[in-house]
Amino acid sequence: MQLTFRIWRQEQFQDKGAFKEYLVDHLTEDMSFLEALDHLNETLVLKGERVIAFEYDCREGICGQCGIFINGRAHGPHDHVTTCQLHLRSFQDGDTVTVEPWRAKAFPVVQDLIVDRSAFDRIIAQGGYISAKTGTAPEANAILIGKETADKAMDAAACIGCGACVATCKNGSAALFTSAKINHLNTLPQGKLEADQRVRDMTAQMEEEGFGHCSFTGACEVECPEGISIANIAEMNARYWKARLFA
Amino acid sequence: MKSNRLFFRKNMIALTGLFLCLFLIVHLSANCLLLLPQDTARGLYNAYSTFLRENPLIMVVAYALYASILVHVVYAVLVLIRNRKAKPVKYAVNLHKENSSWASQNMGALGALILIFIIVHLVNFWARIKLGIGAEVAYDEAGNKDIYEVTYTLFQNVYYVAFYTLLAIPLGFHLHHGLQAAFKTLGFYHQPGLQWLAKVSLIYAIVISAGFGIIPIVVYFQ
Repeated sequence: MQLTFRIWRQEQFQDKGAFKEYLVDHLTEDMSFLEALDHLNETLVLKGERVIAFEYDCREGICGQCGIFINGRAHGPHDHVTTCQLHLRSFQDGDTVTVEPWRAKAFPVVQDLIVDRSAFDRIIAQGGYISAKTGTAPEANAILIGKETADKAMDAAACIGCGACVATCKNGSAALFTSAKINHLNTLPQGKLEADQRVRDMTAQMEEEGFGHCSFTGACEVECPEGISIANIAEMNARYWKARLFA
Repeated sequence: MKSNRLFFRKNMIALTGLFLCLFLIVHLSANCLLLLPQDTARGLYNAYSTFLRENPLIMVVAYALYASILVHVVYAVLVLIRNRKAKPVKYAVNLHKENSSWASQNMGALGALILIFIIVHLVNFWARIKLGIGAEVAYDEAGNKDIYEVTYTLFQNVYYVAFYTLLAIPLGFHLHHGLQAAFKTLGFYHQPGLQWLAKVSLIYAIVISAGFGIIPIVVYFQ
């Protein structure tokens, strides 16, 4: 199988960057997209060229590192997948594949396909946790949680922080990420104690980082590898009203 | 607690948008009088218009309406500016049609078309009737200002008929996305309710768009 990769090359943040085309041969349709990039990088090493910088970690769809914009979609042509779970069988032999880094003011390009997603870390640092004394794990049934509540919290907690929501959003909004993190904790009894402050601080940081407004296009929930619903954003908005008016 | 602009602006757009959605229902309901036979329509429509102009409550509502349009537009522009800044570099290839509706991606452009419509519409009716700009409005047999005649004359011009009818289409798309987004912005997150809301928004958009689109054509052929 042969593909032409049209890849964004950028030495560092300050540089302008441009697309460069690579004709890559000896690919198989069973390769994952990241393996294809590995394969391309091996050929670049042999030629003595700088390899293409891209992020990855687990390669099994749970770490959220491999954020790449492929052929006009975050993580490629399928809904709800990560780049590492995208395989070359999704492309036709001879295709040209355009590969770009996430685009958002809050996600500056570090090099080639790698962007700095530390804006997400700073949002988490404003309340994406509960204040509790550390030590041995408490008895699991000390605080009883209904199955429906646990499931709802888990659906939000499934967010892997990949940034596809911001990448695909025409406004570069981080509303899906922030709402998932807020709702995950505010749904549970352990998180309720700091619920209002969490909403206040995390949304304030979201504003501070330069993300855009949510206009509910719904693109984020389609590109989210975990299929996190935009109803979470509506719920965050309700929590914001509550924190603003009653807290 | 310090107000968060990301929420405040969208809330203002949502609240004014919902008020405008309510207004459209009342406006369309009244305009349906224009579908009646000409003699009946003239009497009823003029009487209704006079009632509106002389009712102090409606005067307050009218100012709320002007303010809503203004606030809706101003905050939409502020939102647009911030959103552009948040996304300074566009993708070389972007297939957003595969993950979101066309209307949701183009609310600003649709809104701009509607604003052009509102301005023309205000010049056609509001400026003439309320401000007395242009030809003077006559009185009908009952002694009411003959607003029906203003409408009828306007829609004898085929270009105005086309303009009013065609611009009901972007209105429909804007309302379809706007109505449901407004509720979500204001914090409506009940899951089965959201599915219901999507259907209601579609029906609402079709009724309003088709209603306002058909009336000029019907009046033209009367």
